[in-house]
Parts: sequence; C-alpha cells; structure tokens
Amino acid sequence: MRNPPQKTHLYKFHAQRGRIEVFAGFEMPMWYKGIIPEHLAVRNGVGIFDVTHMGRTLISGPEAETFLNYITTNDVSTLTPLSAHYSTMCNPQGGIKDDFVLSRLEKEKFLIVYNASNREKDYNWMVNQLPRFNVDIKNVSDNVAMFAVQGPKAEQTLQKISSKDLSKIERFKCGWTELAGATTFIARTGYTGEDGFEVFVWDTSLTSPEKAVDVWNKVLEAGKEFGIEPCGLGARDTLRLEAGMCLYGNDIDEDVTPLEAGLGFVVKLQKGDFIGKNSLVKQKTEGVKRKRVGICMLEKGIPRPHYEVWKGKEKIGIVTSGTLSPVLKCGIAMARVPTEYSTEGEEVTVKIRDTFAKGKIVKFPFYDPTKYGYQRKTS
Amino acid sequence: MKTHDYEIPEGLCYSKEHEWALVKRDHVIVGITDYAQKALHEIVYVELPSLGSEIKQMKTMGTVESVKAVSEIFAPVSGKVVEINKNLVENPELLNNHPYTDGWIAKVKPTSLDSELKGLMNAQKYAEYIDKLEE
Repeated sequence: MRNPPQKTHLYKFHAQRGRIEVFAGFEMPMWYKGIIPEHLAVRNGVGIFDVTHMGRTLISGPEAETFLNYITTNDVSTLTPLSAHYSTMCNPQGGIKDDFVLSRLEKEKFLIVYNASNREKDYNWMVNQLPRFNVDIKNVSDNVAMFAVQGPKAEQTLQKISSKDLSKIERFKCGWTELAGATTFIARTGYTGEDGFEVFVWDTSLTSPEKAVDVWNKVLEAGKEFGIEPCGLGARDTLRLEAGMCLYGNDIDEDVTPLEAGLGFVVKLQKGDFIGKNSLVKQKTEGVKRKRVGICMLEKGIPRPHYEVWKGKEKIGIVTSGTLSPVLKCGIAMARVPTEYSTEGEEVTVKIRDTFAKGKIVKFPFYDPTKYGYQRKTS
Repeated sequence: MKTHDYEIPEGLCYSKEHEWALVKRDHVIVGITDYAQKALHEIVYVELPSLGSEIKQMKTMGTVESVKAVSEIFAPVSGKVVEINKNLVENPELLNNHPYTDGWIAKVKPTSLDSELKGLMNAQKYAEYIDKLEE
C-alpha cells in the first residue's frame, strides 16, 4: 500500500462535504449526506461518484487484441471499436486476478479500468506478460479523472452539458464528447445496476485538477433538477451489492474462479489460449463444487462478511458481502456455498453473533428488475 | 455543554466507550452519547439487552449497526435490566435523533453503583476526553 494516502482531484470537495476514509491507499469520501439518501438518489434519480482511485491503463499496438485475449477471459475479438465489456484476468490456476471493464477505443487501442486495490498488481501482471507481444502499455491513472454518473436520470443530466447526443450511446457502448467544454471519454457502464455513464476527463493531472473539478461541479449543477447527490463509497458498495455485482477482495479473489463466482458469461472457452484456460476447462468439465449465491434475510439481522452460513446443524459456507438493503429494507448477502445448496429458494441460516437468522437463496439482482435498475419499465 | 459539535448534557455520567448513565432514585437509565451516534451515522439496527438479564460494567449489553458497521454497546454500570426501550427495534433512528432522550436503551437496577460511578466521567471530563480524541 502507498504511504502516505493519495488524494484525487476532488479531495477538497470530499473533505469539505463528506466523511473521509482511506480506501486502497486513497483518501476517499465514505458518504456526504448519508449512505441511504445517496443510495436512493441513484435508484430514483441520479448520483455522481468520484472513482478516480481506480486504475486506468491504455493498451495499444498491432497485437493489442491478441495480447488482451491471452490475459483476459472474455473474447476481445468480438469487441468492436467504441464498445466495452466486463471481463476477468485469471492466474494459471483459474483464480481471479481481477475483474474490470475493457473498452475498445480504436482497432488497436484499448482502455482497461480495474480495481483500486489491485492497481500495482494488475499493472505489473500486464507488464510481465508483455515481452511476447508487440504492444505498448501506458498507465494514465494520474492524468485522467474518472466519475460515475448513475441513475435513471443520468442521461438527461449529462445531456445538458454534452456536445454529443448521448441517447446514441447504448449500454456498454462508449464515445468521445465535450462535457462542459472538457474532452471526455464516456462509457455507458457502471457499478450500481442502474443506467448511467462512467466519465473519463482526459488530461487533468492531480497537480492541476481544475478541469476535473469543473466537470464535477457542472454535472452537479445539471443534475440539480433531478435531485442529484454526490455519493461516496458507502453507497457505491450498497448499490453494487443490491445489483448482485462482485467486489474484488470480498466476493472474488485469486482462490475463486469466475465459474465459481457465477461469472461464466465472461469466460469464453471456445476462443484461443489464455492464462487459466486449462484449469477452467477442467473445472467446467468436472462441474463447480461451490458457488457465489445471494441470500435474502427472512428474519431480522444484517449479514456481514465472514459470518457463517448454516444448513440445519451444519456449517456450509461463508458470507462474503452483506448489508442492509436500502430498497428492500432487509438484510442481503453474497455468500460462497457448496453447489448442492445454491438452488434458488433453498432456506439457510446465517449465524449473527449468538443467533441463527433465517434467509433464503435468491437470484441476482436482489431487487425487482422491472422496478429498479437499467431494465426497469419506465414509470 | 457542547464540544466539537457534540452535545454533552450536564448531570449524566459518561464511559470511555461513549455510553451515558443517568442515576435515578432506584434505577439507572443508560444509552449511547451524541458522539457515538455521530460516529456511527444512520443507525439501522439495534439489539437490546434482554429484559431481566444481568449486565456487567464494561461488558457488551447489546449492539448497534449502521449500514456499514457493527458496534457493541458496553454497559456503563452493572445490574439487572428492568426495562428496555422497545421503540428502538422499529425506530433505530431514535438513537441518531435523540440519543439522550427518546433514544435511551435500558433501565437498570444497579448492583454496585457507588464504586462503579468512580470509573465514569462527568460532562466536563467527558468533553475533555472527546477534545483529546478529536485532536
């Protein structure tokens, strides 16, 4: 971990308006108004998050696609310019080194956005695989600020200050636009389950943060009529959990494969060789022995990471993430359990201190996707 | 009195773990302080001590949870729990909104009050204690 903690372009805003905590070596806002009001602003309107702590690296060159196809599990050849996909990188045993979103800027140029907690590990891993490929890699994390603008009103908010028609950018597509006069790359992606964008403000260094601060303030101004809230990492966590999305270090790590994590949709075994492929093929053939599941609590109590999951008198697994769902108003968790107990509707208990509270296995997302999230039927 | 935006009413006894005790004629009312509720923020769940249970000074008597974190409530005095604030179960936000009044946690029949009070702070001392924490 870096020492002392780093600050993003928006640090002054965070320190004035929010509760700061150190996360992955960065002084980041946990919340401003509170996790619940920020969470609900994103589900019902729009919120903006500073996620500049994440890692951003450009990969370019004639063999960029071949290189990325070798180090990641999804099929990069299906990614057309100005499209993005979710993917994982694995170690040779098939364990997840990281999960990330990869955007194809041009035929031979990609942007990979990965977890803050894995910034050094991922960069070094990519550099170590480089020598066999004709590829350039450039870490742009410190010169590109990154915000997530999320919620059903995200498009309307950003459209007010965007030079480009954002309705033309579909989910998991991306493009360049002027945002409040600043050159930004924008992707219709996110970590909340809602419609929304991730905004990359280009060429704004940490020592001259004005451009990033200006875009942030202009977004807040544009979103005022929709009740926009600046949101901290607290709401980011509850939102992604409700949506059923993994948090690296909690729900997935180097000892968990994407197949066990329910991320089989980003593992393309029919493509050419890639790191971890043999292990994943073997696991797929034999069948996964444990799975990541969602647990919705039927009784009072909030499940937390490391709490035990029981079936009858037997301990069967462990909670990897848990919280109170602000939308459902009950405890929700992700847990790792043997495949035989992973069926939807299966009743289990979670050991919360001295008591066992009932819960049941549910599918992701936890909320009703016709009422919340990017697939909601608009009201 | 007030320090660093934290309310610290006179007449209560305070523990280092940020609980308060109000000594009445035949019982003691206990709760968590303004500092504790502000540190937790958005309290969403409370586990109260059971009615009739014996609690021991500085031992866990319950838990409070915010969206993100679990915190234990330590008993500021020892004794038998004679009443609990059941309103907190459905309205845990009372702990945020009124930590010293409607957010009280339990009434306790104390067993060794005189000696235990020596281990608690008055409002003045507790304010100084918080000033040190906030330095």
